Amino acid sequence: MPILDFLLSKNGKKKKVILLGSGALSIGQAGEFDYSGSQAVKALEEEELEVIIINPNIASVQTNRGPNKKVYLYPITPFWVEKIIKIEKPVAIISSFGGQTSLNCVIELEKSGILKKHNVKVLGTQVDSLEISEDRELFAQKMKSINAPIAQSHAVSTAEKALLTAEKIGYPVITRSAFALGGLGSGLAQNASELKKLTQTALMTSPQVLIEKSLHGWKEIEYEVMRDKTGNTITICNMENFDPMGIHTGDSIVIAPCQTINNIENNMLRDMAIKIAQNMGIVGECNVQYALNPKDYDFYVIEINARLSRSSALASKATGYPIAYIAAKIVIGFDLLELKNPVTGTTSAFYEPSLDYVTLKVPRWDLNKFSGVSKRLGPQMKSVGEVMAIGRNFCEVMQKALRMVNENEDGIALNVFANTSDDELEKELLSPTNLRVFAIYETFKRGKTIEYIHDKTKIDHWFLSHILYIANVETDLLNFFKLKGNKNSIAPQELYDAYKEISKDHLHRLKSRGFSDFQLTKIYLLACLNSKIKLSTKEIRRLSFNIRKLRKKLGILPVVKQIDTTSSEYPTKSNYLYLTYDGIHNDISPKKNEKSIITLGSGSYRIGSSLEFDWCSVMTSSYFKNKKNDSVIINCNPETVSTDYSASDRLYFEELSFERVLDIIDIEDSKGVIACMGGQNPNNLIQPLSEAKVNILGHSQKSVDGAEDREKFSAMLDKLGIDQPEWTSAVSISDIEKFIKKVDFPVLIRPSFVLSGTLMNVANDQQSLDYYLSLTKDISADFPVVISKFILDAKEIECDGVARNGEVILSLVSEHIENAGVHSGDATVVFPSQKIYTHTTNVIKDIVRKVVKGLNLNGPFNIQFIAKDNDVKVIECNARASRSFPFISKVSGVNLVELVCKVMNNEKVKKILIDESEIPHVGVKASMFSFQRLDGADPIVGVEMASTGEVGCLGEKFDHSMLLAMEATQIRKPNKGVLLSTGREKDKVKFMEVINNLYKLDVPVYATKGSAKYLEGRGYKVNTVHWNRSPRAVDIIIEGKVDFVININKNLSVDELNNNSEIRKTAVKCGCSILTNLEKVMSYLRAYDSYDELQSIEHCINL
Amino acid sequence: MEQGKNILDKKYKKAYLELSNGISLEGNAVGADVNVSGEMVFNTGMLGYSEAMTDPSYLGQILVFSFCLIGNYGIPIPKNENFLISKGYESSSIKTQGIIVSDIYDGCHHHDGGTSLEEWMKDQGVPGISGIDTRYLVQLIRESGNLWGKIFSEGAKLQGKNKFEFLKNFKNDEYIDPSKYNLMPSVSTKEKLTMGKGSKKVAVIDCGVKWNIIRMLIERNCEVELLPWNADFSKIKCVGWLISNGPGDPKNTGDLVERIKKDILSLNKPILGICLGHQLLSLASGAKTKRLNHGHRSHNQPVFSLPEKNAYMSSQNHRYAVEKSSIQSDWELWFENANDGSVEGLKHKTKPFMSVQFHPEASSGPNDTSWIMDKFVALLQLSADKKI
Repeated sequence: MPILDFLLSKNGKKKKVILLGSGALSIGQAGEFDYSGSQAVKALEEEELEVIIINPNIASVQTNRGPNKKVYLYPITPFWVEKIIKIEKPVAIISSFGGQTSLNCVIELEKSGILKKHNVKVLGTQVDSLEISEDRELFAQKMKSINAPIAQSHAVSTAEKALLTAEKIGYPVITRSAFALGGLGSGLAQNASELKKLTQTALMTSPQVLIEKSLHGWKEIEYEVMRDKTGNTITICNMENFDPMGIHTGDSIVIAPCQTINNIENNMLRDMAIKIAQNMGIVGECNVQYALNPKDYDFYVIEINARLSRSSALASKATGYPIAYIAAKIVIGFDLLELKNPVTGTTSAFYEPSLDYVTLKVPRWDLNKFSGVSKRLGPQMKSVGEVMAIGRNFCEVMQKALRMVNENEDGIALNVFANTSDDELEKELLSPTNLRVFAIYETFKRGKTIEYIHDKTKIDHWFLSHILYIANVETDLLNFFKLKGNKNSIAPQELYDAYKEISKDHLHRLKSRGFSDFQLTKIYLLACLNSKIKLSTKEIRRLSFNIRKLRKKLGILPVVKQIDTTSSEYPTKSNYLYLTYDGIHNDISPKKNEKSIITLGSGSYRIGSSLEFDWCSVMTSSYFKNKKNDSVIINCNPETVSTDYSASDRLYFEELSFERVLDIIDIEDSKGVIACMGGQNPNNLIQPLSEAKVNILGHSQKSVDGAEDREKFSAMLDKLGIDQPEWTSAVSISDIEKFIKKVDFPVLIRPSFVLSGTLMNVANDQQSLDYYLSLTKDISADFPVVISKFILDAKEIECDGVARNGEVILSLVSEHIENAGVHSGDATVVFPSQKIYTHTTNVIKDIVRKVVKGLNLNGPFNIQFIAKDNDVKVIECNARASRSFPFISKVSGVNLVELVCKVMNNEKVKKILIDESEIPHVGVKASMFSFQRLDGADPIVGVEMASTGEVGCLGEKFDHSMLLAMEATQIRKPNKGVLLSTGREKDKVKFMEVINNLYKLDVPVYATKGSAKYLEGRGYKVNTVHWNRSPRAVDIIIEGKVDFVININKNLSVDELNNNSEIRKTAVKCGCSILTNLEKVMSYLRAYDSYDELQSIEHCINL
Repeated sequence: MEQGKNILDKKYKKAYLELSNGISLEGNAVGADVNVSGEMVFNTGMLGYSEAMTDPSYLGQILVFSFCLIGNYGIPIPKNENFLISKGYESSSIKTQGIIVSDIYDGCHHHDGGTSLEEWMKDQGVPGISGIDTRYLVQLIRESGNLWGKIFSEGAKLQGKNKFEFLKNFKNDEYIDPSKYNLMPSVSTKEKLTMGKGSKKVAVIDCGVKWNIIRMLIERNCEVELLPWNADFSKIKCVGWLISNGPGDPKNTGDLVERIKKDILSLNKPILGICLGHQLLSLASGAKTKRLNHGHRSHNQPVFSLPEKNAYMSSQNHRYAVEKSSIQSDWELWFENANDGSVEGLKHKTKPFMSVQFHPEASSGPNDTSWIMDKFVALLQLSADKKI
């Protein structure tokens, strides 16, 4: 039998296997694990196993309820896993599908003997191998023993030894201080004298310095390896970083397959990858990362991951080979020869995919959301999402990917550096930021050579030459069109005529090199339109439609190609598709039966749009798939479940741009397009698509506009007699002054453009206001500032629901723990609400009815409120599925997405009335922050969203869910000590309500001066710390005397924020749990009343 | 992919691929300005174009690279004309009639590169077409089974008949079908050559041998005697035999099969047959060969050994295969293809004879089966030590 003996069902009883997830999304560990986990669930369920999922990530697809599955939304810690083991009595546990979190948990479970005690076996790669892959020292030993070259660190304690070592390993070398925080004493030495200087400085603060060979500028290359228990091994895919060594792979642009290495290099590295997998005893999947010398055949093994990873998800999407699905079959005992390649259905799974296209991954950074964080890229990953473009040449994938990731229709010809000085450009090349490709492009446009840029960036000539090509095309086009003169207006027909003058072959070539119609229009405008005249995106898009017309007339259309793993060597029915202009033949031609329904996905994950919208897209697509419609998905995010080919009937791994969506609609001849389930990104397409007469399912464009246009929405609320915070759109400083005179501080300001820092801020006083305004462009009619009254100490409430033709079908109310002022994406949300008066709920539900009627909503919605005393005001209305849809659906047991689909499908739906107090448990949704990855970021929550992920935990009562949700977001029970700063006098008084719970924890309490004085005055023992004299607050943290920091600001003034930020940043750096919001701290400490009860609980709640 | 300025003004010379099924595809002329004809074949390997193009097994064929970007790392610098260290070449010249690509890169920046692919093709008088929907073309070849083609561009000169001997059999306007004729005289060495030093002298029958076979033997301390296909094998003194890869139909090789049977199979010395050599050896053993629909030409052919079921990725380039049902009783199936179950290797039950359909010498492609060369050389050693 292929499946391991002890996993076989006995007497009709299925065996249970635990599959650990990865918890909340954070930088470096994101949606890819929902993708690998859900594939694993599918693979295991097919083999008659019952899958026990432990993962608090409520928005994931893998935590959906299922017939052969139990879902526990608990923290992934040995404590909770053991509890669930006791309840479920599984025979085995799988570690490799939940990232580092699950791997670490399984290693701990094994080492502490818990698995042995309960007779639970680890499936796949065994723990001793996992440990080797995780421990630098063991790893180095192992690699040496099999003659795998590694760049070793040499610890030295004198400058002389450093020089000797460097002589041996060869310059340039990198030095690192062994014990210094923040990279003090680290550097690059090209020669002996530089090294001497560096080590001498470093040795002043640290007893040891590590010397390593510098691999700066080497190629960074990765192999995905699969090995079964019999030892048969394949490499699924190789990938090459556009950015050479020095930038974290997660922050690098990555091409698959490798493009600049030859056959010898490829097989040299492939052989080594297989050798390593063999010797490490991998069963399942692993990846091996290399640094390859661009000047000879030298290479080093950098690291291996003995589990599914971000790159394995990328490799799956790049090749079509479902790595996680096959890996899951392998860990339960199958071997590769027994399995079929699921894409062909006929050929062997022991197979290395052949591609006839290239894929390019480009990361998405949201560094503007964090003030204080450097935009420079380096060894620490900072990106929060990624996209992948598929095409048949590099220019095409580069331009596609840049359109996917930046949500514009430009491509690379986006002139962010047009006005930058040559010096600044050079700096950008030398120490790259997230905008480096644009800097390279601009440098080429200024006439610099490939050699020049290669010299600065070390990026391979091959990549650079393609960017040069695009720059040259743009220059050529500009020169060609310039002859038409400088105009004050452009008639639509002009564009048609202008591009008609270019030969059909050339126009086709422009398209095949990834130029969008929008981009071509912009180039024409740049050449011929008076530079003082600025056209809006809407206007340019309208003009660009004429190029589309011309193309259609000339027959310049993209073709559909399949991704089939075999480069067409075998016929397949693959439904995994992309579009390209580099081809003449369509692999598929959908039947023109007007049955397909297109769901637009969410695109790249980013702050504010993440897993939850993928969940909505997947649920939508599955619904229509089950209804026997042709369910089509368009999305470009390789980390998602929606881009798994089994999530739809046809998957177009494509841009979510107006042009590309229209292309697909033309091919599909669809019944309708769903744009309201993928978050704001697809929602923005409703306007142009409606204008192009595309049938949009759900809300009408008018409804969406009525909700999104501030002026219109506000006017409607006034008409309906619904209260809202006062606001204005200021076009001058005097507008702002007038407004503040009327409403007084604090105010929330939202400029339309910022030079640095975050977009939204709360100004507490004139000084803060001046400061924030100084960060924006001059205020004008073109760049207005939206300013609104900020209401302090008010409660924030949300209502998620579904409407049909202006009538509410279902509405569910949840509350925030934090007071208004914390972005709803960062807030801790409770459902069903615990602290809202029935009266308030009734008021809210009444407002919801009115708003839904007023906007004539017909689909999903989310309305946000603030309530203070008995006043309820509306903040905003999202006429689309919201972030909280999966949370509310899973806690209430009513799938909101299913209801939405019924509405969109014109099925009968009855109004649903739920008594929320009847819901047997309480759900708490909490946010996960990635500040530890973002050096320099102030870990404070505010009006601008900063969290990268979330969890949702269930408890019998609020306290339980709260404790679980906090634990699942890395807020751990204090163990060493607590550092307190409790804010305003008013807050200090309030904090006394929970002070005994803090002291019951029986750890030393430290507090900053004011807070300490307050506590001492009330008879509490407390150690006082200071800002700037000993004992300093930050030293207490660095010395490890505290592991929990409670830091509440007095107010939102710039000074106060700056004062406290050092404490907060240090706390994050040292890995302390940190809470900065008073209401959240209090809820958390109060919940300790039930701590012991929760710990001793014997029945964990499953979905 | 051109790097030059004034791209809009650049004029591409058109070229056409005229196929024997009546379809004509338009693209841009690349490489030499020559019109050629050949059998249409495709390779799905993503790297290794220089190895493939110099592989004599591609003689008479127009090779379609299914991968979209070809030429990225240029062509290696030949090292002092010494092929043994000039990896990247499998013979001294391009053997394909022409190539068809989607996109060709006209630069060369690789540390081991000397010139661009296009320059090299011009030097060697080999034409190609770029800008072709290669995926579509692969599908046409796969579906038709037998497809021949002509690369045509206006004003280009005709391919000289002297380039390869077999070309003389064809009229100017005829589709060239190389497997109709004995291709051995076109690819085999004209005279006996001795290479390498070592205690084990192995005779290699050159049916269009890939240089990496010779490299691997020499690296393993063998003295290689490279024999013309029509040499008198009965006069050769050696400890073992290798029958090389090569182009065409194994049945169209004159009296080669007969002579293998008579002069080599009758001995008890180690024999390794590779690709065409495997087919020749099988025919000599009494088995039969057949023509596959479109053959195997790729770096990812999954094969597994019997009875162990050890699986390997293999590099392959063949159109003909041994019929499983025809395997003689004193031979056994050694390797099988995991995708289509075709015969991938045979072993004699009692004698040191073995042969594989795939390429243990790889180049290009994965090295998973290089152990077969080790195994063969170990047998040679036994033979040299008179233990066989």
